[in-house]
Order: sequence, then structure tokens, then C-alpha cells
Amino acid sequence: MQKFIRAVVFLLIPAVSMAAAQSSDQNVGLRKNVPNVWALRHATVVVCPGEVVNDATVVIRDGKVSSVTSAGTPPVDARLIDLTGKTVYAGFIDAYAEVKLSSDGLNRTARHWNSNVTPQLSVAQQSGGTSENEQLRMQGIVAQLRAPSTGVVRGRSAVVATGSGDPNQSILSDDVAQHLELTVAKRDRENYPGSPMGAVALARQTIYDAQWYRDAWNAANAQPELPRPERNDALNALQPVLSGRQSIIVETSNELFFLRADRFASEFGLNVIVRGSGHEYRRLEEISATNRTVILPLNFSQPPNVSTAESAANVTLESLLHWDVAPENPSRVAAAGIDFAFTTDRLSSTDDFLKQLRKAVARGLAGDSALKALTLTPATLFGVSDQLGTVEPGKLASFVITDGDVFDQKTKVVETWVAGERFEHAAPPRADLTGVYEVRLQKTSAFADRLYVELKRDGKKFSGRISLSPIKETTGEDKDLPKEAGGKKKEETERDTTDIVSLKHVQLRDFTATGQFDAEKFGGMGAARMTLIFSEMPSDKKMDVVALGDVVWPTGQTSMASVLRISGIEKSDGMKDTEDKEKSPSPASFEVNFPLGAYGRSAKVTPAGLTAFTNATIWTCGPKGVIKKGTILIDDGRVIGVGRTLLVPDNATIVDLRGRHITPGIIDCHSHMATDGGVNESTQAVTCEVRIGDFVDCDDISIYRQLAGGVTTSNILHGSANPIGGQNQVIKLRWGSTGEKMKFSEAPTGVKFALGENVKQSNWGDEYTTRYPQTRMGVQQIFRDSFQAAQEYAVRMDAWQKDHRGLPPRRDLELDALREIVEGNRWIHCHSYRQDEILALIRVLNEYKITIGTFQHILEGYKVADEMARHGAMGSAFSDWWAYKFEVYDAIPYNGAMMHKAGVVVSFNSDDAELATRLNQEAAKAVKYGGIPPAEALKFVTLNPAKQLRIDQHVGSLESGKHADFAVWNGPPLSNFTRCEQTWIDGALYFDRGEDEAHRQRIAEMRNTLIQKILTSGEDMRGVGEDDDDPSALWPRHDEFCHAHGHGHDEHGHSESH
Amino acid sequence: MTTNTEFAKSCRFPHMVGTMIQTRLLLCLSALLLLSTGRANAEIPGAPQTRPIALTNCHVHPIVGPTIRKGTIVFENGRITAIGHDVPLKKKTEVIDLQGRHVYPGMIEAHSQIGLKEVSAVRASRDYSEAGSINPNVRANVSVNPDSEIIPVTRANGVLVAVAAPRGGRVSGVASVMQLDGWTYEDMTLKTAAAMVVNWPSPPSTGESSGLKVLRELFDDARAYKAARNADTGTQAFDIRLDAMLPVIAGDVPVLAIAHKAAEIQAAVSFAVEQKIRLIIFGGHDAEYCAALLKKYDVPVIIDSTHRKPSRRYEPYDVAYTLPGRLSKAGVRFCISGSDRNETWNTRNLPYHAATAAAHGLRRGEALRSVTLYPAQILGIADRVGSLEPGKDATLIVTTGDPLETKTHVTRAFVQGRSVQLTSRHTRLRDKYLEKYHSQK
Repeated sequence: MQKFIRAVVFLLIPAVSMAAAQSSDQNVGLRKNVPNVWALRHATVVVCPGEVVNDATVVIRDGKVSSVTSAGTPPVDARLIDLTGKTVYAGFIDAYAEVKLSSDGLNRTARHWNSNVTPQLSVAQQSGGTSENEQLRMQGIVAQLRAPSTGVVRGRSAVVATGSGDPNQSILSDDVAQHLELTVAKRDRENYPGSPMGAVALARQTIYDAQWYRDAWNAANAQPELPRPERNDALNALQPVLSGRQSIIVETSNELFFLRADRFASEFGLNVIVRGSGHEYRRLEEISATNRTVILPLNFSQPPNVSTAESAANVTLESLLHWDVAPENPSRVAAAGIDFAFTTDRLSSTDDFLKQLRKAVARGLAGDSALKALTLTPATLFGVSDQLGTVEPGKLASFVITDGDVFDQKTKVVETWVAGERFEHAAPPRADLTGVYEVRLQKTSAFADRLYVELKRDGKKFSGRISLSPIKETTGEDKDLPKEAGGKKKEETERDTTDIVSLKHVQLRDFTATGQFDAEKFGGMGAARMTLIFSEMPSDKKMDVVALGDVVWPTGQTSMASVLRISGIEKSDGMKDTEDKEKSPSPASFEVNFPLGAYGRSAKVTPAGLTAFTNATIWTCGPKGVIKKGTILIDDGRVIGVGRTLLVPDNATIVDLRGRHITPGIIDCHSHMATDGGVNESTQAVTCEVRIGDFVDCDDISIYRQLAGGVTTSNILHGSANPIGGQNQVIKLRWGSTGEKMKFSEAPTGVKFALGENVKQSNWGDEYTTRYPQTRMGVQQIFRDSFQAAQEYAVRMDAWQKDHRGLPPRRDLELDALREIVEGNRWIHCHSYRQDEILALIRVLNEYKITIGTFQHILEGYKVADEMARHGAMGSAFSDWWAYKFEVYDAIPYNGAMMHKAGVVVSFNSDDAELATRLNQEAAKAVKYGGIPPAEALKFVTLNPAKQLRIDQHVGSLESGKHADFAVWNGPPLSNFTRCEQTWIDGALYFDRGEDEAHRQRIAEMRNTLIQKILTSGEDMRGVGEDDDDPSALWPRHDEFCHAHGHGHDEHGHSESH
Repeated sequence: MTTNTEFAKSCRFPHMVGTMIQTRLLLCLSALLLLSTGRANAEIPGAPQTRPIALTNCHVHPIVGPTIRKGTIVFENGRITAIGHDVPLKKKTEVIDLQGRHVYPGMIEAHSQIGLKEVSAVRASRDYSEAGSINPNVRANVSVNPDSEIIPVTRANGVLVAVAAPRGGRVSGVASVMQLDGWTYEDMTLKTAAAMVVNWPSPPSTGESSGLKVLRELFDDARAYKAARNADTGTQAFDIRLDAMLPVIAGDVPVLAIAHKAAEIQAAVSFAVEQKIRLIIFGGHDAEYCAALLKKYDVPVIIDSTHRKPSRRYEPYDVAYTLPGRLSKAGVRFCISGSDRNETWNTRNLPYHAATAAAHGLRRGEALRSVTLYPAQILGIADRVGSLEPGKDATLIVTTGDPLETKTHVTRAFVQGRSVQLTSRHTRLRDKYLEKYHSQK
């Protein structure tokens, strides 16, 4: 469709040029044929970045550029516009704006089952115009990409011209791109998807469905005997995206979402353009490596409020740094070689577009680079480079005309042309006659022959003053005066004020200004009346005669007058200079660190080479037990030797750890930190298609804090809102790197299951009583039903794989995951409390010959430890939590030891970002409650969780060949008086008390520098407590259905806090 | 009672070797017996002390002075009568040779909802937050359930005294100090009106907060009410809320202001000075920044938890761990509570909050005092508990070592001289299911 329209446009060009604009609309009444050929003369034309034509003549014929020539002669039929001193640029393209589309009527068509998937919606079919067009034109914007604003797979955008015209003229290209956001705006417990994880899963499934739709129809068309596949307008609308003909623009809210968009695109080979966030500078290297084009917002934030020590104390370093660095985001993106365009989206007001753009240029972005991003890049990106992007023959007459370099702070946009429509901005309205004038009168014997008059307007009220000597303009309340004129005023001298009398009854009407004044000072006795007729437009030029008029003196004598405009004359150039000095931008004060803000790293962590740690008490958690005065040797990220007497190579670096203890890095088998995708996709009973791995949040400060507690590996689990939850992600706490690099690559995949109160919605609130299941009986049935479905799905898929006969089966990501579970390729980690539900699950699993990965929480494991052991189930528990809800009333701290003694592999986990920082203390509870020897108890937080996650061949104990993941302690690891001193992962030092101390000092210095910078910047601060939008802050990093996190708060919101 | 304490002692899990079977049989019989009474829990309150008890051959940690190695502590009629070496004993004295164990005062949790809630997610078992925002008249002790299963669990780890505090609203009510033994809430009450709990309003960026206005009105009204009632004209009708404020405006009952941020703490202190009332800060995350103010007006701080995440991203990871040490250095009076982290169900973990503080800059002795003597002083019960001194209650614990270390066991406990059981729902369930596995062998 899009191509078709463009072809038609080309064909029509010769025809259009001979006649007035044609329209298919029926003419009613008299015809209108206003001459529409223009010649812009003497302009400086920037044809495209880097190519300038001086003294150019631009001929415009029926909305299109017909020629651009240097000093050319305009055609005889052209209307002439003198643009001496002005510069003409190709009109700017706003590469992204959102419009709300109506989904009314979709229900009556072949739609997608989920209301968040509406790819068939098209902006061109619903919305051409916007009330913002005038604002956009003031910013030099001649066209805008308008995209649907809601949903996950949202629909198609259009490039729309910002003229005054109707949609028949203004839609330059329809179905430009498909639009996607890999998140949802808010948490939802009922409508899928209710989390970012769910949104990605939905998007992923939709793409698979579109592929299936294509294949199914191809098959059906080839073999008429096959059943007819369903019709689906949504999946049909995605076909151009699948084939790569149509690009897909992904809206992102920070740099991590950028990388996610890229991964999503790579999964399906999609042609993705990223609507950026302004945070790209934070992970520039990775973003540059994606080779994606980005549409940058210019939402440089206001400084955070640091006006008092207290308000400053609540501002993050990240937020301070962001204020300082964000204006350099475009220049840094450019320097990284990333293609980019600009958007007005996310600006607090469209009116700030040029201002912010100029700020970006002042902070290092090259003008040509900026111009390209405003013109050529988006024109090419959106397939409208035949219409927009340069000032060349054949293109639309869409320009920005300025009185100087468009990126200079002082430059004004004088005119904007949109497809041949002219919009003038800088000329003051005709009715505005305010200003300061010199009135020269005919010489008379009695009266003054020279007056100075000031005409002012305040809203609808006019006033004026009159004097024998020049009047300096008064205050800045004359908003309608040109900006410079409204500026600073020197105090008027005594003489001035005594000379001046007020002009009364001032009226400014169209071309006429009238008023009366006391004539005493001017040679008369009584009232004089003045009339000024503005025959010429007042202009900024000095001493132009702008009006004629007369003064009728009290005697009745009339003096004819000629009027010169003098306002603006007094503006000294000196003042401009000082303004420039004030605003001269200073570059960002600090290097970007990773993640940005407190405790971020300035450089990549590098593994130590061959190193021997000697004289330490080594708790190996392996066959060698506890070695006093032992040595551990590491190289290339691995342990290569542990022992009391170890031959240390000469070239090894030796670290003497006398008096210290070394343990394997602590492994937390149950965590919800470091994910910003929402811990729960709680809308459905089965959601194993969602993946925590899509949302590893490498910026979560909890990662650093837990490193400080010796944690090196963490199992990030989906929450417990549903019997079959999402896929978990095991990570290493490689603080400073990206989420992808934190993934524990050797860890097998898993999934969260849950039983009991949470999944049957017992504590969600009284209104949640209808989702299946509502009883433990029903919970078990969900498993049976799911496993059965997975087995049948497997049969179906395998059969088709074998002979490709019949309609291709639809790939279902939920069933894919279930199939992996049933086939033993995905480990179940099941939230569980009561013995009956534990046993019931074991029985179902036995039936399907599935071995569970772990029971999580498993607080009544002690009641059925024998059954667990028989099944081969492992248990990852809280050491001593109980009584926070009814199903944990029988939880006892002896549980861990009792399961252990029954032969179950037991770990103690945190499920909590605070508790995770001191899991060594938790291990001590196994000593207290059950008499487990300390060396064995320590395994509850090291080797045993490694076994449970099936990574014990890599981590969990200090043995040759395993990863060099370990913690150094200043005393026995199970003592409450002991501190973690260092944490090593893959043979690299990730936490060190000494380095932490240096961080604290650095943070204090940085904060102080930036706070001073804000206080002296003169910029308006945000309100107290107003923060940057942090998309990750929307999503909890704990399982809100699981246990109490409302510590210290009132607990009345129980559905939230348990 | 000897049977009971021995019983408790033998129940201790780590020592279940050798004679375990015998013990377990005995224990199960007892458990069945107790369960058959249909009571909420099986732990029988200690019988009143009938004759002097001397704990000998033990290390006595009086808290207020140096440890008495291999010494003796004697108590009679619930009060400590002597501590030292070679203490003369009365004839009828029951002598218990502790074989080198340690004796400490029972630890004190300065803030919890003990007895006021059983299972936090079960609404029917929550009794700490009354409707409305101004509830100075409600008193916590009257709804403390002596049969809460949480009480024996808490006691078993050496926490023998705990504040039961209402919460919610602006003025939550009166917090009471409870000792964790007794047949009724009255038996358990050590001090009915320990503090008036107020959720301190966070000051707005400018102007007066509406919360502060409400508090000012309440105090003004209470003073007017007092004057009107004193005038004895018979025209002033009884007002249950304002009447409950009288001890507060008289300075008899301090306000326990829940305040974390500097501005909240500063406002609470200024208000207390303005109103001439006594104040305790609860929470106190930013208290170090207000040290001068707190010291000048001698306002103590109950640190709500050591095991807490930093509230600001840039704060050091150990900012909560080091707070007690920093307040100690700054000379601010403080004690440590575990209530923010533990909720009520793990009030037993109080000593570990103090231990973590000791690992991060607080002197060990201070750490111990911060869960014994200091909370007693702040709560106005130091004449009874918090240290081991003649004349004070014999509310004490016998341990295998430093009670701040997790591995340490509490082997005996006395509340006002009454030997209390250290069994609990947890040991009962443990023993029940140990029986399952034993019978399988």
C-alpha cells in the first residue's frame, strides 16, 4: 500500500505542476486558484549537512521544490520572498510521537486474543492531525512519525506533515513501521500480561504465531484438502515485519531495555529501530555493538533538588550524574558511531525541542551531525527521503528558515514551510504596535517639535508615556516585545522621570494608536491628543519611518507627525556577551561508571593471574574439609590447588591471609533481586513462558551489597503467584557488567512452581476468589493437566517434524517449557510449605517420572523428609522463619537439620535482599537448631545450593578445577562477629573492604562536586523528592505474595505484603 | 520444676545421642499429656519461687560490672540477693551447679507486637492496630495473649522481656513492657504504660505538616481538658482519648516517636521540647546526624533493626550495621531492637542484631548492654531488669556461651525467680516428627 501511494505521487508530479493542487473533493461554490509558485531569494541554503548554496534562489511550485540555484533568476510567475540574511534548512523530522488510537471495533474483526496485541491498527487510518502542529512548526518540525501509544505490539505508524491541512494531504507515508514495547505500563493481577516479563513473552509468542500463521496458510493454499487455518488480522498485519520489509520500532525506557530490544530483534532477525531513553551513554559500548539506529529523546532532566542538606541527602548519585551527563548523550552516541534521529517525545513540552537540541550541540554534538539526525537519517529510516530530508528539486517544500545558525542559542526560526505551506513566526502580529517611538512634528512656534513616545500593553490594557527626551523602555512586563527588549533595564535617571508624563486613554487598533496627554511640558496648557497611523510594519531596523500622524494641541492647532521606531536601539551588544559567558556549558565532571552512580566500577574487573592465598583457614566444603593454615592457588579464573602444603610456583603472586578464613562463595538458592521485569506474572495459573532471564537488572545495588556478604551466585526466581510460574535465571554477581554477562552460563534451565496459599490466592484480598485453583486439590490438578498437555504437544510436534504433513502445529512457548519439564530438561524449583501439598506434588511428579529440582521454603519438609529423600528431592529453606501466615505456623528451625539427617540435600536461602547479605549467619542456625557440625552447616549456603542448582561441578566448594569463587572473612564464617573482607568471582576481586572504603570517599566527593555544580548553575531545580523516572522502580524485587516485606510499616495492605 | 528444666535441657537437639530414646519417650508422653489439656501451648508458667536458689560454678555477667568467673548468684522471692564468690547460702537454698555455664540478665526487646499478633497474614490474629488515627487510650497489655506460641519460642533464645506496642494511625496507643512468663497478661505485665506510640509525621518541604498540626491540637486539647477537669466545675465531660493523654503531658509516660529521617527526628525532638514531654526515638536511621540535638535534650534512640537494608542507594552497605557503633561514639543513648527485621515471630533473633553491630564497630560490652541494660533504662524498668544486681528481679538466663552468638544455647531461664520452660511449639513439633523417623528405623 505504501509503495503504491508513493508511485502515484511520482506520476502526478508533472500534472500537478501545470495546474493548481488537485483534489478528489467535489468543488462547491466558486473555485479557488491562489497562485502557488514562490521564489525564495538571496537565502543561504543548507541543501544537506555540509552542502551550502549562498545567495540561493529556491523555486517552489505547487508545494514542491522545483529548483535551487545560486543567484538564479526567479521565474516570472513566482511570488518573491527576500531572504537576505536568512538560512534555509530542510525541514526537521520529529522521529517519534505517540497518538492514542481507538481499538473500538476490533472486537468485531478477526483480532488477536490479547488486547495488547493490535498490530493491525494504523495511525493513518485514524489520526492525521494534531493540535500540536503549530508548536511543532515553531520548532522547525515539518513532519512527524506518529505511532500508536498503547499495548505491547501496538500497530503501525505514519509520517505526517505538520501543516494545517487535512489528512488527504498531510499523511506522507502510512504503515511506516510496526511498534512494540517490551513492558507494560503498570502491574496487573488479572489481565495478561501483568509484568514486563509477561509482555516480552507475549511479544515473543506473537512473532512465533505470525510465523505459524504464514506457514499454515502457505500449507493450506498448497494443499486444498487441509483444514482451513483461522483468519487473524493481527497476525496478518505482522507479515511485513517478519519478512523484514517493515521495520519495528521498540520503545525503551532505559539502556537495559535497549539491549533487550536488540536481543529480541536478534532472536527473530527483525529490523529493529530503538526509541531510546536518553540513557544510552550508560552502556555505550554494548549499544554501539548492536548496530541499531536509535531515536533519541532530548529529555535532559532538571537538576534534582539539592537546595537543603536534607533534600540533597535523598538524591542519588546516579540522579546527580545523570543531570550532568545527559546533555552529552547525543554527542556520545554520535561519537560511538551509532545512527540516530531525534524525537520530541518525553520532553516536558514540545516548545523545548530546539532549546534542548542546542544544549546538546553546545555539549559537543557537531551541527552537521545534529542536522543529519533531524533530516536525512529519519527521512531514510522512514522511507520518505524522496519527499523530505534535503532542499532539492522534487522534494516537498518543507523548510526551516532561520536568521542564523539554527543551533545557535540566539537564532530565531523565522519561517517554517510545510509541503509548500508558509508559516511565518518571528514577525510580530500587525496589531502589536507597542514600542518606543520618536515622533517628529512640524515645527511650530509654541510647541515641541520632537516627542518620545512609549506604547505598552499589559494583557488587554494599553498605556503609554511621553517625553521630550528619549525614553528608555521600562520593565519586562511587556511580554509582547521582542525578547531582547524585555530584558534588563537600567534605572531611569531623575531627569527622565520628571520629563515624562503619561499618555492617557491609549488605544491601539489595527493600524492606529491614539492617546492624550497633558501638554504643559510641551508648550501648551491643557490636553493634547495624538494619533499615529502605522503605515509600515514596525520592524527592528533602526530609524525607519513607521507611522505618520498628528498631534492636536490644546489650542486646536494640529502638527503633522512622522514616527520613527527606536526601540531596540539601546540594546547593547555587551549584554549578549555576558549572557554567553553565563551559559557557556561545562563538560560532564566525571567519567561514566558501571552501573552509573554509587559503587559503580570505572573499569572492567580483570581476573588475577596465578595467585596463591596462603596461611588462611580454608573451609573447602569439599573432601578436604577445613584446612588450617592452608593455601589456595588460583589461575585463569579457576582453582588449581587447595591444601595445607601446596607447591606454590615461583611466578605466583602470594597473598598472605594470616588469621583470615576462606570459604567458597556463598550461593543463594532463592532470590528476587537483580530483576526489573516484575517478579510475578500473576495473571494466570500457568506462566512458564515468562523468563526472568529477559530482565536481569545489572544495576540493582543489592548485587553489590550481597557481594559484600560473600555471595557470588544467586538463583533469581519467579514469584509464587501461580502453580507454574516463570523460568528462573541463575546469575553470578559480576557487578559492573551487563545482565547478559551475569548469567551463569553453565547453569541448567529451571522453572518456578508454587503450592498453597499464594497460588490459591488466599492472601490476595477478598475479591480474588475465581481464578482456578482456589484449593490445594485444584493446585494438583493444574500440574496433571499441564503435564498431560505437554506430553501430547510433544507428540504433535515430533510427528510434524518427522514428515511435515498436514498443517504445521503452532509453537507454544508455554508448552515448550512444560515439555522440557516433562522430559527432564528443565528443573522445577517449587515453593511449598505444608506436608500434604509436598507429598501430593511428589506423587504427581512420580507419575510423570519427573525429578524435582528443589522444594523451596519447604518449611514442613521435616514432616515428610523421608518421602523427599526417596524421591530425590532437595530442600532450600528459610533457616528459622515462621508464623507470617497460616501455612507456616508449623515451621520450625529444626527443619533444615532434620531434612539433612534424613538424607535430603538442604540449603538455607534468603528470598530477601537484606537476609542475603549475611547468609553465613543463617548457616549457623543449622548448628544451633539441630547440631549440624559447622563445616557441614556452611555447606547449607555453598555446596548444597550448588547441588540444588546443578552447578556443583563448577562452584560450591574449593576444589581444583572449579571456578575461583570465594569469600575471605576476618574470623570464623559462622560467627556473628565476623565480617566479609573480600569476595572473588572467576578469580577476580569483586568486593574488597578497602576498595569499598575508597568508594565511599569518592562518592562523597562526587556528590559534593555535583551538588555545587547544580547550586551554581542557575538552573531551576525539581521539587523536593521529585525523582527521575526509573522504570525499574515500578517493579518490586521481592515476591509480594510470599512473605512479609512491610517491615516497620503498617501491615494492613496484606495482599501486598505477604 | 526441676523435672521441667531438666526436661528442657535434655530436649536440646544437639545433645540427642546415647540416652536419646529414653528421653524422647518421656518427652513424648509429657507432650501428649500437655496437648491433651487442650491449651494453646504446652508450656506451663513457672511456679513462684518458694525457696532461695543459688546458681553456682558459673560465670556471672552482671552487665554493670566485670564478669565474675566461677561465681555464684543467689535469688530469693524473685529478687537477686547476692552475686560473687563465696556467697553464704541460707539453709533451704536450692543449689544448682551450672558446671561452668554463663549467667546473663534476660534480654529485652524494646519494640514488638508480641502477644498482639499470632499469624501476621491472618486478620483474626492481629490485635495491634485500632481503627482511626488517634488512639492514645488503647493499652497493649490487655490484648497480649499469654498463650501465644511466639512467646515460648522467643523466651527459649534468652529474650525474657519484650515491649508489646500498638502500631498504625498517628497515635497508636500505649506500649507495655511484658515479661515472657505468666498465666495472665497481668502476670506478664512489667510496666503497663511504657510509652505512647506516635508515628511521627514526615515534615513537608515547606510549611507545617498536617500531622504535626493534629498532634499540636491533641496536646493543646489535653492541656485544656486537664485544666477544665481540675477546675472541678462539673461541666467538663469525660473524654477517653484526652484523659489518656494526661500522663503524657505530665511527663510520666514518654512519647515513642517512630522517626527515621533527620527531619522527622529533629521535628520530634523540637516538639518534645516545646511540649515539655519525654521522648524516645524509635527507628532513628539518621540519628547520627541529629546527635547534638539528641544529646542536648537527652533523648534516647531505639534502633529498630541492625539487619536492615540501607535506605539510600549510595549509603554504605553496612550503614545499618554501623549505626549502633556510630551512636555510641557520638554519645547518644540508644538500645537495639530487632523489630523492623524480625517482625514479631522472630523476636528471638534480637541478640544477633547486637552481634552484627559488634562486628561493625560497636564494642562487645556495649553490644550486650544494648539488648539488656540500655533498653531497661530507656523503658524505665532498669530498677527491675536489664542487669544482675542485688535487689533486681531474678530475670536471667543460663547459657553455653556468649548469647550474641547463634551457636550458643540457652539452657535455663528464670523470670522473677520462676524457672521457666524452654520448650515451645517448635521443640514439640520437632520431637513429634523425630518420633516418626525413629519409629521407621
